[in-house]
Amino acid sequence: MKNKLFLLVCLLAFVLVAVTPALAQDKIQIKMWIAFTDNRLDWTKDKAARFGELFPQYEVIVEGYPNYEQLFSATALAAGNDALPSIVQYFEVATQNARDSGYFKSIADAIGDRTEINGVAVALDDIIDPTTAYYTLDGKFTSMPWNTSSSIMFSNMNILKAAGVDTPPATWAEMEAVCEKVMALDNAPEYCFTWPNHGWFFEQWLAQQNQEYANNGNGRDARATSVNIASDAAVALLTWLKDMSNKGYLYYSGARDGASWGTVDQAFQSQQVAMAIYSSSDTALYTETGKQNGYEVVASFLPYNQDAEGGWTGNLIGGASLWLVDELAPEVEEGALTWLLWFNNTENAAEWHQVTGYLPIRKSSVELLNTPDWYAAIEAMGPSTVWLNNTLVQESKGKVWFEANPNFRVASDQLANSKITPATRGAILGNFPAIRSIVTTAIDTVLLTPDANIPEILAKAQENANASLTQYNTLVQRALGQQ
Amino acid sequence: MSATTPVLITTLAALIGAGLMALTFQRMARPAGVGAVVGALGGALGAQVFMLPLEYCTFASAKTIDHVIGLALVGVGMALLLWPANWIVERLRGGWRGLLIGDTQAGAFRGWLTPALLLAPTLIILLLFLYYPSLDTLWLSTRSSILGIPGTFGVCVDNFTALLNDASYLKALGNTAFITVAVVVFSMALALLIATAAYQPIKGARIYRTLLIWPYAISPVVAGVIFLLMFNPTGGIINYLLRQVGISGIRWLNDPTFAPWVVIFASVWKSLGFNILFYIAGLQNIPKDLLEAASIDGANAIQRFFRVTFPLLSPITFFLLITNTTYAVFETFGTIDYLTPGGGPLQSTETLMYRVYRVGIQNNDLGNGAAQSIILFLMVIALTVIQFRSTGRRVNYGA
Amino acid sequence: MTTLERAQLQTHAQPRARFFAWLPQRWYVHVFLWASCLFIGFPLFYAMLVSTQNNAQVFAYRFLPGESFLDNWRIVMIQRNLASYMLNSTVVALAVTTGKTVLSLLAGLAFVYFRFPGKWLVFGFVLITLMMPTEILILALYNFVTSLGWGNTYTALIVPFLASATGTFLFRQHFSNIPAELSEAAQLDGASPLQFLFRVLVPMSWNTIGALAVIQFVYVWNMYIWPVLIIQGQERQVVQVGLRTLIGGDAALVFGPMMLGAVIASIPPVIVFVLLQKQFMSGFALGRDK
Repeated sequence: MKNKLFLLVCLLAFVLVAVTPALAQDKIQIKMWIAFTDNRLDWTKDKAARFGELFPQYEVIVEGYPNYEQLFSATALAAGNDALPSIVQYFEVATQNARDSGYFKSIADAIGDRTEINGVAVALDDIIDPTTAYYTLDGKFTSMPWNTSSSIMFSNMNILKAAGVDTPPATWAEMEAVCEKVMALDNAPEYCFTWPNHGWFFEQWLAQQNQEYANNGNGRDARATSVNIASDAAVALLTWLKDMSNKGYLYYSGARDGASWGTVDQAFQSQQVAMAIYSSSDTALYTETGKQNGYEVVASFLPYNQDAEGGWTGNLIGGASLWLVDELAPEVEEGALTWLLWFNNTENAAEWHQVTGYLPIRKSSVELLNTPDWYAAIEAMGPSTVWLNNTLVQESKGKVWFEANPNFRVASDQLANSKITPATRGAILGNFPAIRSIVTTAIDTVLLTPDANIPEILAKAQENANASLTQYNTLVQRALGQQ
Repeated sequence: MSATTPVLITTLAALIGAGLMALTFQRMARPAGVGAVVGALGGALGAQVFMLPLEYCTFASAKTIDHVIGLALVGVGMALLLWPANWIVERLRGGWRGLLIGDTQAGAFRGWLTPALLLAPTLIILLLFLYYPSLDTLWLSTRSSILGIPGTFGVCVDNFTALLNDASYLKALGNTAFITVAVVVFSMALALLIATAAYQPIKGARIYRTLLIWPYAISPVVAGVIFLLMFNPTGGIINYLLRQVGISGIRWLNDPTFAPWVVIFASVWKSLGFNILFYIAGLQNIPKDLLEAASIDGANAIQRFFRVTFPLLSPITFFLLITNTTYAVFETFGTIDYLTPGGGPLQSTETLMYRVYRVGIQNNDLGNGAAQSIILFLMVIALTVIQFRSTGRRVNYGA
Repeated sequence: MTTLERAQLQTHAQPRARFFAWLPQRWYVHVFLWASCLFIGFPLFYAMLVSTQNNAQVFAYRFLPGESFLDNWRIVMIQRNLASYMLNSTVVALAVTTGKTVLSLLAGLAFVYFRFPGKWLVFGFVLITLMMPTEILILALYNFVTSLGWGNTYTALIVPFLASATGTFLFRQHFSNIPAELSEAAQLDGASPLQFLFRVLVPMSWNTIGALAVIQFVYVWNMYIWPVLIIQGQERQVVQVGLRTLIGGDAALVFGPMMLGAVIASIPPVIVFVLLQKQFMSGFALGRDK
């Protein structure tokens, strides 16, 4: 026994010594946490490596978290642990918490009136309008926009055409009509369509009906003090979803929030459903997977409620932005700003759009992609292996990007056609991530309970959400003395 | 609340304490007067244990339930002081030395400094990282506190009353009871069955044992990951196998009926090895002559098992009951978090422990999370006491 | 094998006229045990198969190893850097196991071989902590440990777990069963308590030490919720949390790397447990050849 233990300890000690890396470090380290663990993480890491070649004084270390929700709580925990990195990717609904927490510094303040940093142009006026509208708070950029998306729909045209449908449905009623045809097919898929039970889609469908989510101008005129998630618009939405579910058209995976996305990917890619409501963030993945597996994927606007007063108002953006941590050492902050600006320069923003489907967030990127010159420009910037291995990119070489890949312009078009109202600018409120989970839980209850009383469930959810918001606001006012 | 409320409560507590202790002293043939003084003191101070930190807020509230909780807290505070006092008095009958020394052993080393030094690291760590956080949880449970926002403020017992009115909290309570009972019963029964075969001296017994017990070392997280693969609705092997026998389309993890069973199955699988190991050991310790005697008396194998083997296994069963309950309540967290993140469809796999995390960390409501922790804490204490009282006495220690 | 087992085997081995002579003795027990082993082993076996496959092969339900092992290995070890998580888990598990064993030995020594005032009180103080699972206290523990400035350090993963009521209790039981003559002899020789501990008690306690080591190693290696709270970033994170990066919450599941990660993360505790199995059993006074 004694010998065995001794041997074991020796073995483990050996492993320790052998694996312990050398800790020599002379570069300025910039740590960035992002909420991706798929090829979006690989892409970001490639970009960080390229940045290191161009600016050898810096080393950008990128770490991935599985989803926004986990990264959000990890950041709050890290603030207590004194373990914050230099840059954190926060999703759009964490904006109010990020402002109240006090551990971030406004990008505009950090940049000051400089027009370039380390030779990288600032040019924040080059950012596209919907993104600027969302992230401009108190008249200035608080965080650096990065991945901006909109909610769209992907259709498996092989199935739709087999059912005699040539264009994807645009409204809820059309959706039902198409589903009826699809499910009548001899080799019908298991379900007609699916969507992630994520709070963002609820918000999108409310915005489409010009229904504000929170009071005080959706929280943009003054701090929001109550939410309005039991409105007629919300009841209409849940009634429609429930109806589609009862008819066997809608597949609800039972997964909520951050865990819900993967289940939709899986259902669409295995052709168990004909249509998937999703984020434009994965346009590249959906289009490419379809091509590889022999079915055509067409992206279209998010279907809307044809009975809503005023019809379709518009959609809001989604995605996340990059927040600069406060009180960094000056040289680290300088490096972080350089990285943020370079990372989102014209060519990189265009490349990011191509490998994912997020909007190209610079007007100059859109212009570039409207010419056939984009390939050479991105190649000169030093593209990622993700881009080089992307078949859509390689096949489109020498063509005007948006003409060769119409799916990629759907999200931009949808936002460009949207009317800018308080509802479509998107809500800003405290405890929003927690309130989102109240909403998705309510939707879960509606869809999984037979004979669910929708107005009652929504009223209860609203009560809980308001309690959560009131608690948050009271704490912020009492503890921080803020308004 | 008027300014006299604290005085009133304290006086009441002192009177009740005095009465109780006077009776106790009388029963133990000691001067009842002394008992009354001790009791009055203990009662008056006991009332302050919770009420002073809370500033008697429960009695300032308009809600009846707050007053009830307040009175209960006064009672608990009194018990916390009077119970040890009573106990000390009982022990004092052996004189002051009996109170301090306790058990002794021949040939022991003397002195207090060495043992103090030997115990110091253990005691300090327990004090700092278990006792202090326990008290701090209690404090936190009376505050409004949001993770990531600095500062807190007192909310009396609102976090607790909020839980009482929270249907989803009660749902989590039911889930916990269901999952715990199922895991404990299935895991232990199956383990006993396998152990009765594996403990016998047959060829390759050692190999069998190793192949049976290793899942003990698998983590709840890995159990979750592997079962996520097996029960996945699209590519999972279980649905593939079921399709071969004509059953199809069960969406295990997405169906509120089946999702808790997947969690149970994964947890049983993970804990089976541990239970088998202990049952094999227990079975080997049963004297063969007892079984032979029973078989001479004409008992068949099943009768022998229930009349001889099972009662003799009761110490092991009791031990496993406690460890398995703890496992099912606390450690299934990792399994649930990987199998059904967020607590499953219709909240069907959300246990109390998972809810502490989901509300406290994911939804950032630390105060509510702490209140849940306190209730969980009380349940653990109650369960331990019940287990020791009911099973502990009947356990057969003869083996 | 003990004498009794051997004797029983011999009884069974006596030649008997049997029709199914080609079947092993008590074949039904073997069949049952093989079935049980398969039932228990299947999930891990299947996970190992999948760890060599890509998604297409997983969905084709191939019960043969695939060709994607190297690809999966590259994703797990290089892209997701599982090796660094494994290293962190090793450091933490070893430190806690060692520290906990030593502190429990010291406490056990104090409780059994010393007479000091208030012993029962102190022992009660230790024993009550059996009712306080760390999991319940994590929110407050998080607040406290971060206020010490230990956030995101190994210290936060190690120090709070160094004391153990289970360990103290186990050694107290074990020492109480050691004949008192030994300590008397040691005192006559003028040995100090620590000399007595390391020269006399420890050599007699390897089984108990082994048992405690197994429990603690497995417990710490498998710890999940506390590292989620107290460690952020990859540098010091442990492998149970690191597995999260293989399950992209935001993307479709890719099973191969996920299973490879799960299998790799399970190797150290399973090896420790299987190797120290015998000590584990006799340490808990479970084996009869003690």
